[in-house]
Amino acid sequence: MRWLFQRSHAEADLNAELQDYVEHQTEHYIGRGFVLEKARTMALRDVGGVEQLKEECRDAHATAWFENAVRDVRYGRRALCKSPLFTAMAVLSLALGIGANTAIYTVMDVIMLRALPVRNPSELAIVNWRVKTKKDPLVIHSHTGSSYTEPDGGKMSPDFPWPAYELLRDHNNVFSTLFAYQRAGQLNLSVRGQAEMEDVEFVSGNFFSGLGIIPAAGRLITDSDNIAGASQVAVISYSYWHTRFGGDSAAVGQTVRINDIPFAIVGIAAPEFFGVTPGSAPGVYVPIVNRPALARNYGNEHDTMFIDPHFYWVDMMGRLRPGITLDHAQAELAPRFERLALTSAANDKERANLPELWLEQGGSGVDSLRRQYSKPLFVLMTMVAFILAIACANIANLLLARAHARRREIAVRLSLGASRLRVLRQLLTESVLLALPGGILGLGIAAVGSRFLIWLLASGRQGFSLHAELDWHVLAFTVTVAFATGILFGLAPAIQATRADVTPALKESRASAPRARAHRIGLSRLLVISQVALSLLLVLGAALFVRTLANLHSVEIGFNQENVLTFGLDASQAGYKDAALKTFYAQMEERFRFVPGVISATATDMPLVANANHGTGVVLPGSAKQEGHDLPTTSYVSVGPKFFQTMQIPMLAGRSLGPHDVDGAPLAAVVNEVFATTYFPGRNPLGQRFGLGNSQAGDLTIVGVAKNTRYSSLKDAIPPVVYISYLQNILKRPPIGMTFEIRTAASPLALTETVRKIVHDAAPTVPVTSVMTQTQRIDNTITQERTFAGLCTAFAVLALAIACIGLYGSMAYAVSRRTNEIGIRMALGAERPRIIWMVLREALALAAAGVAIGLACAWSATSSIKSFVFGIKPADPLAMVVAAGILTVALLIAAFAPATRASRIDPLNALRHE
Amino acid sequence: MSRPTDLIQGTLDLLILRILALQPMHGWAIGERIQQMSKEVLRVGPGSLYPALHKLEQAGWIEAEWAVNEAGRRAKFYSITKEGRKRLQQETAGWKRLSGAISDIVLES
Repeated sequence: MRWLFQRSHAEADLNAELQDYVEHQTEHYIGRGFVLEKARTMALRDVGGVEQLKEECRDAHATAWFENAVRDVRYGRRALCKSPLFTAMAVLSLALGIGANTAIYTVMDVIMLRALPVRNPSELAIVNWRVKTKKDPLVIHSHTGSSYTEPDGGKMSPDFPWPAYELLRDHNNVFSTLFAYQRAGQLNLSVRGQAEMEDVEFVSGNFFSGLGIIPAAGRLITDSDNIAGASQVAVISYSYWHTRFGGDSAAVGQTVRINDIPFAIVGIAAPEFFGVTPGSAPGVYVPIVNRPALARNYGNEHDTMFIDPHFYWVDMMGRLRPGITLDHAQAELAPRFERLALTSAANDKERANLPELWLEQGGSGVDSLRRQYSKPLFVLMTMVAFILAIACANIANLLLARAHARRREIAVRLSLGASRLRVLRQLLTESVLLALPGGILGLGIAAVGSRFLIWLLASGRQGFSLHAELDWHVLAFTVTVAFATGILFGLAPAIQATRADVTPALKESRASAPRARAHRIGLSRLLVISQVALSLLLVLGAALFVRTLANLHSVEIGFNQENVLTFGLDASQAGYKDAALKTFYAQMEERFRFVPGVISATATDMPLVANANHGTGVVLPGSAKQEGHDLPTTSYVSVGPKFFQTMQIPMLAGRSLGPHDVDGAPLAAVVNEVFATTYFPGRNPLGQRFGLGNSQAGDLTIVGVAKNTRYSSLKDAIPPVVYISYLQNILKRPPIGMTFEIRTAASPLALTETVRKIVHDAAPTVPVTSVMTQTQRIDNTITQERTFAGLCTAFAVLALAIACIGLYGSMAYAVSRRTNEIGIRMALGAERPRIIWMVLREALALAAAGVAIGLACAWSATSSIKSFVFGIKPADPLAMVVAAGILTVALLIAAFAPATRASRIDPLNALRHE
Repeated sequence: MSRPTDLIQGTLDLLILRILALQPMHGWAIGERIQQMSKEVLRVGPGSLYPALHKLEQAGWIEAEWAVNEAGRRAKFYSITKEGRKRLQQETAGWKRLSGAISDIVLES
């Protein structure tokens, strides 16, 4: 260590020691009869290269490595500062590539990879059922929850009838616990007299113990809470405790009213636990035994839900016993469930397509979010990987050109006695010096980028929260990418540079052209071509997604979406029932209508074009009512009296629904054009009669035909739609939560506070939810498309910029290498435009090659983005032409600067330079 | 001049340790002594000698001290350490084995 800290001292030591040697040796030669002068010369010759000898002595010390590294870093920094443009370009391209990658990776990590914050998450297994056909099994008479279409066309769902849960819970040797839960969705929660909507989850008594969650305060829900008649208790999440109770320790023991039923808060869950579904974070957990009382909006099923084997609703997750594999558990449980399903089947049709039990790893939580976003994220991940590749190609190209420009410097260092390893180390240090700030800056970009991405994914979704913080996973990923890039692309040019034979490199002038250069330029061109090809893919992607978005925006909606305020009210959760509920909604409609600035107001049982869908069977006169299946179906909306007027949907025939269509009056229906042509082709639909759902054929009379409007989404074909009045009890179901639509004269959102006040005055326990304009609602259904168009455009611009930097660098370098040649050409009479064209032609050739390869790749990759585009083919010729055009123009602009510089070369100077 | 390639790899270390085991010495004198003791056969130039000395010092087998030499000038004297003597024993044993083995083959008549 002395060597390191007393360097000047140690250096003096070394000098003195060598000096001592020279003097001894001189004396030695004098002793042999040489004169002083001669003796000294001979002694010095014996020592040889003093500096080299000193270097070897220094290398003998352990600290030499560190010392050299410090010196390399210092030298590298100075060298990089000398060419700020190169440094800035390299660091920036790396930072952008790495930043975008890390941001996407962070989000992907949260959604796909990160394990649940529970004890031994790898032991958890989610229980699903699946069938090979697209249709729901007939043994399922009703189903609430979710189901997914699998890639092979089959169907999968995590929802089971309660008897299946009891059976599997009580008879298995593979799980140490099997617990049940169900998302209740947003329920009306009121704390200290203040109502709001919050995500609630029903859980079995062993839910928390099975997951291994510990309470932050109080206790969690246990089996004794899940007995009918037990006192009603609730556990709140840590973040709900903070937002709603301000972290007040007195929260435990307080009462929260859920749908107007009081629950005592008995505990708070651990801070890191956010539920079993990433992306949704329930604020309140209640024993599952309370579900019938709280979930009144599922018709009559709740009376029998704990015994009905045909009602599929409960989700379950099990913890595998030690040593039991998923396959093993599957083999034991599947036959057990099959027997239950078989017993519950009533006829051959039901027996034909029975659901089979299917276990999945549960460690990352239930994965509806994963299913929803995995493909988009994969596409995004591919895009950022392209960007990183382009950025790396840039770095490689820049380092390559730089190493070549430094051939003379390296040759000088080698000839002065530096070892090859020593020079390689120096060049590598410079690469790492570039990679490090690139990585750090990238991390900053990632932090901002991932927040932005989550904001994009979450926009329009209520109760969406992802806990995405850059963690060590992401950090490791970034650092690996940064270092691998720096080392990989620092090493290749470095090895090439040190392989240079010293003599020709020293002699080399700008005029001579060693063969190695042709090779280098070949590699550099290859890099530029691949950059262009990758950029083309990104620009093409952007063009496709932007056109998709434009197509979606130009879809004819069929009603006037401008100046409409929408929001939800659910008085059923505040205790209103049946007739009182209808009256309440009708009164609210009436009150809103008289607010200054309101043109018209209505209520519907679902918002239009908001991915909501109500479907039911249609019973046509003459066709016998069939049981269960193969019934023709239709979509429907229950609407208020001023619906058509408010939404400005034109009537094509007959009348619209009005205030006289109430209980007691003949049941009236307005249908859309599709319904009329599907079910009454070639006939006048007016006056025709039909039945809906469980009602008898001929119950309803068509009183009007409305113009087609988009129903649940912009993308789907318009389904047959029946409009009925919610004031008539047509589906034998009371209205539940309603969406109100208010057409305003001016800005709709300006009325928000007025609306809240009116509702609060009428019923303080009914919260106003999801206040937004109709336009916002529609926009929310195309969030993914907007995200894609926005991100893709950003990516494309980024890729273009990086590729242009690459081409610019490559051409500028080529021009500087050819200064002599160009000088000679000009001396021989070449005109300036000719020189410009010469350079541009070269750039154009590179661009053309890149574009051609890119288009070929695009052609073969189109199927992978098929599901993301709308209204155009993925291999859209126009988009391809536009992308190729944009890219070529951008590249020509990038090449123009070096081209003009070439044309300004003074032939005299260029030739004299030799 | 003899370059280290003339010596079998590692033997220079052995020679230095052996010479320093007799008495502390400064760099030039070590080179002289090697030459003397080998009857002018082995000549070690400063280009090999000093890096080897610094390496041995770093390894802890020898240590250095500035002192006044026989001519009254300050010089850097190297002396062997305890670990150095241990090392010397090992190296000597190894050398005996190696040189014996080589002699057996080369001098076989």
